[in-house]
Amino acid sequence: MKRFVYDIKKYFYYVIYAGQAELKAEIADSHLNWLWWVIEPFCFMLVYTFIFGMVFGASEEYYTVFIFIGITMWDFFNRMLTDSVKIVKNNKSIVSRVYLPKYMLILVKLYVNIFKMLISFAIVLLMMFFYRVPVTWNILWSIPILLAMIMVTFGICTFLLHFGVYVEDLSNVLRIFLRLMFYATGIFYDVEKRVGATFGPQIGKYLTEWNPMAVMISSMRRVLLYESLPQYKWVAAWFLGGLLISVLGVRLIYKNENSYIKVV
Amino acid sequence: MEEIAIEVNHLSISYKSLKAYSIKKMLLRGKSNKNDTFEAVKDVSFSVPKGEIWGIIGKNGSGKSTMLKAIGGIFSPDQGSIDLKGHSVSLLAIGVGFKVNLTGRENIMLVGLLLGFSEKEIQEKMESIIEFSELGAFIDKPVRTYSSGMHSKLAFSITAILETDIMLVDEVLSVGDEHFKKKSMDKMRTLIGDANRTVLIVSHSIPTLKELCSKVMWMHDGEIRMIGEPGEVLGKYKEFMK
Repeated sequence: MKRFVYDIKKYFYYVIYAGQAELKAEIADSHLNWLWWVIEPFCFMLVYTFIFGMVFGASEEYYTVFIFIGITMWDFFNRMLTDSVKIVKNNKSIVSRVYLPKYMLILVKLYVNIFKMLISFAIVLLMMFFYRVPVTWNILWSIPILLAMIMVTFGICTFLLHFGVYVEDLSNVLRIFLRLMFYATGIFYDVEKRVGATFGPQIGKYLTEWNPMAVMISSMRRVLLYESLPQYKWVAAWFLGGLLISVLGVRLIYKNENSYIKVV
Repeated sequence: MEEIAIEVNHLSISYKSLKAYSIKKMLLRGKSNKNDTFEAVKDVSFSVPKGEIWGIIGKNGSGKSTMLKAIGGIFSPDQGSIDLKGHSVSLLAIGVGFKVNLTGRENIMLVGLLLGFSEKEIQEKMESIIEFSELGAFIDKPVRTYSSGMHSKLAFSITAILETDIMLVDEVLSVGDEHFKKKSMDKMRTLIGDANRTVLIVSHSIPTLKELCSKVMWMHDGEIRMIGEPGEVLGKYKEFMK
């Protein structure tokens, strides 16, 4: 714990600087690149709105914003996990030259992806304005929800970083798993409502509550779109769960990180 | 008594059981992957007094680079210990250290921050690093556009100007053109003059080691064959390699 605080202080500026540099490099590659951070989720939203909203006749209120919130949060989660599996290998040039606590690499990615997610959320706000979604003070809940999501994501990423070093095709397995989770999380539908309608309300509830991303996304929709309270007990539970996973993951990394470079 | 900067005790490093395995292979073969053991460094002990320049020589695969990485804190030893007495350390090796999509300037900053310098200290030295590297306008271009010579020049300049207490130099003194080679040798010479700086150089170039080092260590198959005066050790080494 002491070591963690000390390292965070020591490498804080590195994380910030590396994150900024990475964002800048993405923009520098082509000047319209940052537009893709916006265009991509926007186009996916159009696709889902067309297929599920019009072809299958989804009836969720404010369906366009509903989907966009889902995509925004899912993209963050998806990018973080995908990046983390290969993160040590991709940063070989750094890790084979100097020592740094390996989870700092995750923090750099976190910085980059949080930034992209916030841009996307700015669009969510614009869309809410455009569709005249009634707003209540409940939207302040979005901050703790995001924090809980980031905590859980970081925790999972620490474990992926560790095992990604030793299991070379973990990324393939992860891709399959993420696809499954994508459909189970309800990016373009309401898990509780739809699954509940088919398999009974209890199962729909379980599927939401035991899937951290489903809890976060459905809570976010509640506070932003439907003027209601989030599933705050579950958000809090997942925050604590994420904290626990993160502590274990960071400890795992500290214990093993010096042998990573022998493998990559 | 003279002060010790690097103390290595019974250091062993092996690459055993650390091959990455794949789920696919496990499924197809129905058993876990075989582990190869390779002992790169075997029970090595020595200590380097502060302010000295040591050369390390030995044929390819004799464990020189592995040992250097362990001293730089990148590997952990499997057995034994390495004590740097709290000195800061940096490792300079070929082909490592840069994020290729970032510019040279950004890379200087990142490497500096990783070596434990503050943003302000690096800013102060930025100009002299750029000047020393002779990269000119390329410093603001992404590193992937650099030639291999420019790459090495930048790497050398960062380590040479951002001085740490202990410098580990892995086979990079022969980078660049004749002009830069001469410049880096001159820089090494001034570093030698500094009584606070401890340097370990891995090299295959006998004249370089003879000129720069106060002592030379000869490694063979992960063990120390000899430590002593450069002339003596290098002479024996030359004979051995014939």
